[in-house]
Amino acid sequence: MSPTSTSVSTYTRTHTAVYLADVVMGTIADILAELKIDITSLYRDWKQDEAAIIAWIEEESLQQVVLECHQPDGTVAPIIEFPVAYKSSGEGDATFTADRAALARYRAKLERVPTKTTYGIICTFRTTTHKQQPGWGPASRASTDGLKSLKFGTLASAPHAALSMRYLH
Amino acid sequence: MQRHRQVAAAPERRASETWEAIGQLVVATLERSPDIAGSDVAAAMDAASSVGRMLVAGGHLDKHAVVVVANPVYLNITTVSGIAATNLDEDLGPVPGGTTASAWTIYLPSPDHLGDAVRSAITGSSHLSAEEPPAESTTKSANSEGANVLNLDALAQRLQERK
Repeated sequence: MSPTSTSVSTYTRTHTAVYLADVVMGTIADILAELKIDITSLYRDWKQDEAAIIAWIEEESLQQVVLECHQPDGTVAPIIEFPVAYKSSGEGDATFTADRAALARYRAKLERVPTKTTYGIICTFRTTTHKQQPGWGPASRASTDGLKSLKFGTLASAPHAALSMRYLH
Repeated sequence: MQRHRQVAAAPERRASETWEAIGQLVVATLERSPDIAGSDVAAAMDAASSVGRMLVAGGHLDKHAVVVVANPVYLNITTVSGIAATNLDEDLGPVPGGTTASAWTIYLPSPDHLGDAVRSAITGSSHLSAEEPPAESTTKSANSEGANVLNLDALAQRLQERK
């Protein structure tokens, strides 16, 4: 028998969490820049938001990240949801993919917003408890009544979870 | 000489850590020069960090390089994301040539929709640019032209001496 060797790559939940958090943060930044919304606070809070989303995906408590655009007349639109779907053990492929090309095409079609539109990032949870993270506190979501929903589909996939996107306008 | 370094991004590093690794590579390369203070380079990279993290997280640095021009250093830095990042053979050691560098500029890519954000982030730093970096051949030919002028002067002097 000839000698053989194998190489096994093991990916942890941290790998999945870091990857998906990067995709969601990068996508939010790209969308806000595309809509010409001031992203100073996104820059300022980047590290703490990044750390929080990673921690919540890692503990599998995060249900979705929601980006709300608050227009000067009080309208909250568009709203972009990033639901996270967790994979049961053994279900996940050992791969990390993000459909950035499709996202770039999609982003260019977003409806413009008036100047002085601001934004908010809200996280919702699928579990009754989750780790508290600095800079984050209770908040309520804006109503989505009357908004049309458009599914982008899967935005990114990792061994333990996948991220999709839904555009409400 | 043109060099290219790849830095592992997600899932190996989060975006903020990836930008820090890029910063450490640039500082380590340029601070070897007696004419460049590492703290100045670190300050420039820090000033760019707001937009740098965004460029990393958006996957933009996977395709478009941060370019460090500090003759003779011409360094392209890109990121690697996804599964390839987890087994990347990374070299974050200083790039050769830094010891003789003097003037230096770090060129940041500015994809269309991020142009304003990049230009805004680098305002106030004379060492950061959102312009296209000069081609390496351009910087070299400029030096070569300088050398030719010197050679021609020397030749003219020799001819004068023979007369």
